Amino acid sequence: MTNSKKTMKPQKLQARKLETLKQKPHPNELQSSADQNVPDSKNVLPNNGLTDDLSSNLAVLKEKMGYQSDVRFSEFPLSNTEKQVALVYIDGLNDLTFINDYVIKPLKLYYSEQKESKEEQLENDCFIGIAKRAFLTGDGVEELTTFEQVIQAVYAGFTIMLLEGASSALKISAKKVKSRPLEEPITEATVKGPRIGFNETLSENTALLRLRVSDPQLTMTHFKVGRTNKDLVVVYMKDIANDELVREVQKRIKNIDIDDVAGSGYIEQLIEDDYLSPFPQVQDTERPDRFISSLMEGRVGILLDGSPFSLMVPATFSMFLQTPEDYYERWIPSSFIRLLRFFAALVSLFLPSIYIAFVSFHQGLIPTQLAISISATRESVPFPSVIEALIMEVAIEILREAGLRLPKTVGQTVGLVGGLVIGQAAVQAGIVSPIMVIVVSLTAISSFAIPQYSAGISLRLLRFGAMLFSALLGLFGVILFFLIIAIHFVKLKSFGVPYATPATPYRLGDWKDFIFRAPIFKMNSRPKMLFTKNTKRQSRRK
Amino acid sequence: MLTNTNDRITTPQTAVAVTSIIIGIGILTLPRTVTEEVGTPDSWISVVLGGMVVMIIGIFMAKLSQMFPEKTIYEYSQLVVGKGLGKLFNLVLIIYFLLSVGLEIRVLAEVTNMYLLVKTPIEVTMIAIMSVCVYLVVGGINPMARLYELLLPVTIVIFLLVFLMGLKIFELNHLRPVMGDGFLPVLKGIQPTTFSYTGYESILILTAFMAEPKKAKKAVLIGIGASIVFYLVTVVMVVGALSADGVVTEIWPTITLFQSFEATGILFERYESFIFAIWILQIFTTFTSFFYFAALGLSQTSQKKISYSIYGLLPVIYLIATIPTNINEVFTLGDIVEYIFYGVVGITIILLIIAHFRRMHHESKG
Repeated sequence: MTNSKKTMKPQKLQARKLETLKQKPHPNELQSSADQNVPDSKNVLPNNGLTDDLSSNLAVLKEKMGYQSDVRFSEFPLSNTEKQVALVYIDGLNDLTFINDYVIKPLKLYYSEQKESKEEQLENDCFIGIAKRAFLTGDGVEELTTFEQVIQAVYAGFTIMLLEGASSALKISAKKVKSRPLEEPITEATVKGPRIGFNETLSENTALLRLRVSDPQLTMTHFKVGRTNKDLVVVYMKDIANDELVREVQKRIKNIDIDDVAGSGYIEQLIEDDYLSPFPQVQDTERPDRFISSLMEGRVGILLDGSPFSLMVPATFSMFLQTPEDYYERWIPSSFIRLLRFFAALVSLFLPSIYIAFVSFHQGLIPTQLAISISATRESVPFPSVIEALIMEVAIEILREAGLRLPKTVGQTVGLVGGLVIGQAAVQAGIVSPIMVIVVSLTAISSFAIPQYSAGISLRLLRFGAMLFSALLGLFGVILFFLIIAIHFVKLKSFGVPYATPATPYRLGDWKDFIFRAPIFKMNSRPKMLFTKNTKRQSRRK
Repeated sequence: MLTNTNDRITTPQTAVAVTSIIIGIGILTLPRTVTEEVGTPDSWISVVLGGMVVMIIGIFMAKLSQMFPEKTIYEYSQLVVGKGLGKLFNLVLIIYFLLSVGLEIRVLAEVTNMYLLVKTPIEVTMIAIMSVCVYLVVGGINPMARLYELLLPVTIVIFLLVFLMGLKIFELNHLRPVMGDGFLPVLKGIQPTTFSYTGYESILILTAFMAEPKKAKKAVLIGIGASIVFYLVTVVMVVGALSADGVVTEIWPTITLFQSFEATGILFERYESFIFAIWILQIFTTFTSFFYFAALGLSQTSQKKISYSIYGLLPVIYLIATIPTNINEVFTLGDIVEYIFYGVVGITIILLIIAHFRRMHHESKG
């Protein structure tokens, strides 16, 4: 409905254009008028209820939907009776065997048995009543009385059943959805974690959550987004998540006004706080375990139909350097690995720029031996170190991008050819120095150590900024760039939570799950930064 | 949204801010300025004593601010001594902050151009750092407090590591004899030290932003305490390494310390680049805060939007920073700032006394 405001104007304009066009004889005139029925139909129908005449009902429906090639109308008598039944459905979306076995057959049986005794009473009985008595799959069945409801239900993928003599229609849920099996997510592999990930079907994902969290406080609220009416579910723990946070998430989702959300990345970009920031402000995951643990921290999750990536808000930067693996491994190795990742993030951001600064500005600050060996290897290189670094960095980014989109086997070849062959040849040809190859490779490897893809990209991007500053102002430039990033970093908020938490503001409790990970039994309180309603992690409620 | 922290800073943030604002030029110059006055290796005692004096003044300032909850000194000065006098005092304070910012940006540029960017014009350095400064200041007090919290641990870790390296040329004999010339030289050193501690006056403004203003005294004490440790380590290490006579001949003795030894076998041989890095970060925190305080003062005194005063003051600061023609004039500017600062402290104490009595008066009335 929210679309209407924005789309109104263009529609009017188009309508005017069509009118002017129509004055000339047009070969497709019939077709275009049929197309025009679609937006009109809603305006004509609202109070228009179904009648008890099946053929006239069908006629109306055929008029409204008959031009659609995938809408099927099938009409047939119930065997022993003169009763006519009609089914309306979209081809391919409905399980016809199910309809036949569990709807048509029981109905026929019901009529053949009851025909003699109570026919008159049945005639007056409402359709849903008959249905409930005839076939017991009552939960997926709903009674519809207007054409508008019927048309909406058909397009939503339900089977509609019309009966001679009944002034209502039955909406039967017999959706036949093809879904992918729940496989291990490729983007977030773990060694010791569960091998299960979300798939593209919303109902299976929510079912998976219910299966894992049998707690009545797990709350799911349903939204429809976009013109395409995609299903979206906001998930949170009612007694943990901050009310204001939940309201804000729901508000932002309601404000989404768009044709189609093709993936959860759309939602992410439409609800984030600062679109100018290079940092990702919403975390996505394919892993139910990760999703659930962030719900338990007091975050709010978003699941979108058609996307295996669930979203979690608010996000803080440290989340992007964590993996579920950190909690499955013992705390000492996990802490070590986290420390390593923070270091890797720093290296991937600043190593090339620091190298440039030292080599082109402050040769005096590096150890003499090293300075000599660097200058020896750089002797034959005709470019300043910035250009050299840029050549290599851009080359490696292109290689990575090339390898990413290709089939796995080809991708490896690209990596091999690009990395080894070209790298080796470039050094031998004297275009780049071997030490630059080392620096660039170290940087690339470090950036692979960042577990979240979107955080990795933003650091890769910022690296070029750092190199630029370093080329202009040396070490001072690197420090300036660090300050700029740090300032942006502390200014940024994700759903009201400072992006830099828990690094700042200091809350000692939250540092248990930051650079180090405390033993799990020590992490007995929820992150304070989320202002959760209940602060203790425990099973017994007071 | 989760607004509990909005527009308010926590007590640790206040303490960290006080420390970050205090630590600045002093890391590089304090060993010289204090030893020049003291003349004996006892300068470190002066640093501690100076810090204690400063703590007392800091407590007075915190007390004064606590009398007027959620008001900065710019607002309550007019309440205490009336509009005209209050505005005059605000002007003095603003000028003090502006001169400090100009001075510090200039010192930063001087050091950078002497050791890091020999060929780059000094103006480029100043404009670059001022742009970054504005980027932070327009965000207001909260991002500033968070940034200081982010930078301080980094500073502490690097500072300690680097000074541990300095132990290589540290000689305890350089610090002896303790009070060989009696206590008098130590007393003489207190005055230059107190100037290195400037920055604690920020509590006059920070208290207004605190979530728990009752803890302002605690915050200022911890903040000053941490900076005493910083300065003590600096002075002890530098004097211990270069000796009292060696220190007074160097413009930037701390840098000289790190240039005078090589620690081979570890990744780097010389560590002054690390000192530069953390020093630039810490001086940045100092003048950014002063810039913000000046802009805040101007906007609160003139009732205009703060963004106007931020952008309006930029050229003023740039002009102040470019006035000194050489490094000696820079230090002369430093002396002027120092005198204005004593004026500010004096007026603050007068304000406290007046406020104290007027408040008593009010209480007895109502």
